[in-house]
Amino acid sequence: MSKRDLTFSLGCKDGFPIFIGYFPTAMAFGLVVKNLGLRLWEAILFSVTNFAGSGQFLAASLIGSGALLAELFISVLLINLRYTFMGAEVARRLEDGITGMKRALIAHGTTDEVFSISLMNPGRLPASYMAGLELTSYAGWVSGTALGFLVGLVLPPALQLAVGVTIYAMFSSLLAQEFRKKGLKVLLIAAISAGTHSVLTLLLGVKIGWSFVIAMLLASFIGSLIIREES
Amino acid sequence: MKTFVLPILVSALATFIPRVIPYWVSFLDKLPPLLSRMLRLLPVAALGPLIFPGVFLDYVPHLWAGFAGIAAAFILAYFKGGMILPILSSIVVTYLALLFGA
Repeated sequence: MSKRDLTFSLGCKDGFPIFIGYFPTAMAFGLVVKNLGLRLWEAILFSVTNFAGSGQFLAASLIGSGALLAELFISVLLINLRYTFMGAEVARRLEDGITGMKRALIAHGTTDEVFSISLMNPGRLPASYMAGLELTSYAGWVSGTALGFLVGLVLPPALQLAVGVTIYAMFSSLLAQEFRKKGLKVLLIAAISAGTHSVLTLLLGVKIGWSFVIAMLLASFIGSLIIREES
Repeated sequence: MKTFVLPILVSALATFIPRVIPYWVSFLDKLPPLLSRMLRLLPVAALGPLIFPGVFLDYVPHLWAGFAGIAAAFILAYFKGGMILPILSSIVVTYLALLFGA
């Protein structure tokens, strides 16, 4: 890649593929929360204030199962801990002099995809480029949520049930991509957490939020013992 | 009518806190290696319970309809990459499975 001028409009251009990727997933989210009984403005508020794929789907399923706020907080916090690592990388690469509110806004827009695309650029990252990249992605996420909600109002029930598979399909696609990059250990860790969660919730009657936390911590602990090298 | 504002904002807080911390504090280089590896594995460990057992339970009595869909998505994502095609294929497969009573 030759040296590029990291402007706001280049940020928007780099963000466009993210927009395309987020849109259908966000539509699925809008559809899911409509079926949970949220109103349109609540669905939009959800995506505006959270702006996180798996975190929002997890929060939605916990809200649907009537989880306590504490369960919700801890589960969502754990699944979003990865942003702490991504944010640390992005923060290191930001141009000097980006402070206060700008920094907080850049932090709010740090998603998995924004992280990967922004760090493909060599050198320091200006706030204007980050703003273009993040706003474009954000627009895809929020508008997709609204459209998905509205589509849910007219879609026949059988098709809605089928579209509900989208969340699981998103996670299973992510799992497939991780599997391809990192090998069998990925499937092993996911199998441990899936098995633990199933046993805890179905057989032992543990509440879904806590079970999720236990399953996640147990599987990543076992994983960290068996995987020695840094990924 | 029930309002969902509180859980939405709790979830927002649980998202914003881990995001904003590294922009002000740098402590991640100092974590013990085992803990650091464990934290990095959390996203993968989350995928298991995000899929199971929900993908079966949501489709009772058509227990395998959702699973057929995510199997299609998994295979496509593995060989072709991306998310859009796998997700669309899962909707089609699940819809067909529901229609024909899997």
